Amino acid sequence: MSTPLRVALVGIPNCGKTALFNRLTGSRAKVANYAGVTVEKRSGLLTTPAGPVAELLDLPGTYSLHVTSYDERVTRELLLGHQRGEAPPVAVLAVVDACNLRLGLRLVLELKALGRPLLVALNQIDLARQRGLQLDRAALEAALGLPVVETIAIRPDGAESLKVALGELLQHAPPAEVGPPLMLPPPAEVETRYHEVEALLAAAVRRPATLPAWQDRLDSLVLHPWAGPLLLLAVLFLMFQAVYAWSAPLMDGIDAGIAWLGAGIEGLLPDGPLKSLLVDGVIAGAGSVLVFLPQILILFAFILAFEDSGYLPRAAMLLDRPMRRFGLSGRAFIPLLSSFACAIPGILATRTIQNPRERLLTILLAPLMTCSARLPVYALLIGAFIPERSIGGVFNLQGLTLFALYLAGIGSSAVVAAIVQRSQRQRHDWPLLLELPGWRLPNPRQLLQGLIERARLFLARVGGVILAMMVLLWGLSSFPGPPPGATEAPIYYSVAGLLGRGLEWIFAPVGFNWQICIALVPGLAAREVAVGALGTVYALSGQDSEAALASVIAATWSLPTALALLAWYVYAPMCLPTLAVARRETNSWRWPLIMAGYLFGLAWIAAFVTYRVALWATT
Amino acid sequence: MAAAVTLDQLPKHQRARITGLLPSADFGNLDALVTVRLKELGFLPGAELTVVGFGLFGGDPVAVRIGTTKFALRLAEARKVAVIALAEAA
Repeated sequence: MSTPLRVALVGIPNCGKTALFNRLTGSRAKVANYAGVTVEKRSGLLTTPAGPVAELLDLPGTYSLHVTSYDERVTRELLLGHQRGEAPPVAVLAVVDACNLRLGLRLVLELKALGRPLLVALNQIDLARQRGLQLDRAALEAALGLPVVETIAIRPDGAESLKVALGELLQHAPPAEVGPPLMLPPPAEVETRYHEVEALLAAAVRRPATLPAWQDRLDSLVLHPWAGPLLLLAVLFLMFQAVYAWSAPLMDGIDAGIAWLGAGIEGLLPDGPLKSLLVDGVIAGAGSVLVFLPQILILFAFILAFEDSGYLPRAAMLLDRPMRRFGLSGRAFIPLLSSFACAIPGILATRTIQNPRERLLTILLAPLMTCSARLPVYALLIGAFIPERSIGGVFNLQGLTLFALYLAGIGSSAVVAAIVQRSQRQRHDWPLLLELPGWRLPNPRQLLQGLIERARLFLARVGGVILAMMVLLWGLSSFPGPPPGATEAPIYYSVAGLLGRGLEWIFAPVGFNWQICIALVPGLAAREVAVGALGTVYALSGQDSEAALASVIAATWSLPTALALLAWYVYAPMCLPTLAVARRETNSWRWPLIMAGYLFGLAWIAAFVTYRVALWATT
Repeated sequence: MAAAVTLDQLPKHQRARITGLLPSADFGNLDALVTVRLKELGFLPGAELTVVGFGLFGGDPVAVRIGTTKFALRLAEARKVAVIALAEAA
């Protein structure tokens, strides 16, 4: 096999580069319907029918090579060969959305001026034809002086001719040149470029595509002065209700399965460390996290459907004005919404924010958005302490509590942002200029694929880091054994017990007992571990190990303690991977340390106030 | 009917033709960059656009359609776009 030849995939944002990349390389990178899904370069191998092997680079979308945000800069630097340690591509595959020819072809002309071998893929050609486009491919090819291939990235065979054309291009491309980096040609007058684009369109397009009328009508509703905001609120509320209301039967099923498994093993094995490890460590620990899979999948089903529909950028537009008051803009909305799934992709997504100060602020606020790893913690405590009651016949009290916790995170981020904003003088505004992509029905196959991927990741976490922490915790909680004449459960005298009792002096004022303190420590690796850790700690504390964790804590904790722990988790920087990614993205230790510091402080204060108020209210 | 105004003054559903891009103090030293980006996105003299909608409660920002592409702009950005309103509504 020859060394793979680097080919860069370049196009305007949201033209389908990643879908095409997945099709060509068999990868499963994330695709969605908004600009800026891909913020990092990503590569995959592809063997062309003619022989040459290509290393395809999927790059963040960019409208132009001249005016750039952080993610667009990645693309430009790599294309020009300015990135140190990165070989420049030998050829460029330009992706043009056939529904949006003007913007795409303008970028193609900029790319052509670079002088690298160039191949043009006309993507979504089926949709464009459906919308009335009549285009003469051969004429476009002749007018451009570049090979042009029609592709349908979402169809399994939609990119076969592209592989053939790419193979041909690479056979004639000069071997990987390691010459000096290219210089960006001086920007041609934008008007001149567009005149060239008009000439291309005149030569090749007999009838342009038009946007279906229902798209405008839908926008009229979604961006309606009153209906628009109400719809946004309803959609978000429905999402949180669904997470609670729809998941219950599935969770009960999984719970029953785990209890059955535990009882089975308990009956099979003789008493001893192995049985304790399996029943108290693995099943009580990892099992109590596994229960939350349905809730996490329902949350992701909503997020994926929004992403695919085109609604997100509209929501970002609606929220631009309120967010400006806090030194943010609509551009921060998508990173913050992604943080509800997990702060890590959320922080990565801040690369699409042009204003560096706004980007930094968004990174600092991302952990305040309730990530899906917090869901197990919330769900456990709500399930154990908040009665299942319907309010006004429509709302479920548990669902409302969950919604309130999410709102607490959002509200606090607004307060933090407002404080940061006051301490800084905003010099000039950065433009918003947000593209609103065409509406589309979420693709069920893609949605299902996304959900399977999420389920796989979650199970890998349960089987990997969570299981490992559980086994470790079990070890620390079981040894050394209790001294003779011990009055407490054995775990009280173990290493973990010592640690928990040591931490108790920090957390006693907020109502946490030593069992909770133990669970907080492994929870640093991943938040949901705390739930598993409580499972193990209580299983080893001699509590009835057959009983589900929820009923154990319901019987042993006071309501103020449970509420304080909920308040703690709204803020607590209990996730080392998030701090690590914040370090990488801000390129300093300063910001992750500030982040950890302010979140820890807020968490303690919130837990303290909650505990004291609840104590006062319940006595 | 063909009064020269800027994009931020147009009502919903209004069609208009762009006549030019104006400098603005709102963006300080970024102004030239904002002008270039607007042009790159297709806000060029001669292009036709339609106002699609507005932000919360009918305020900032404004959404417009140029050809088959839609963009959201803040009113500050829209003030840079000089237009003449076209007679018939889309």
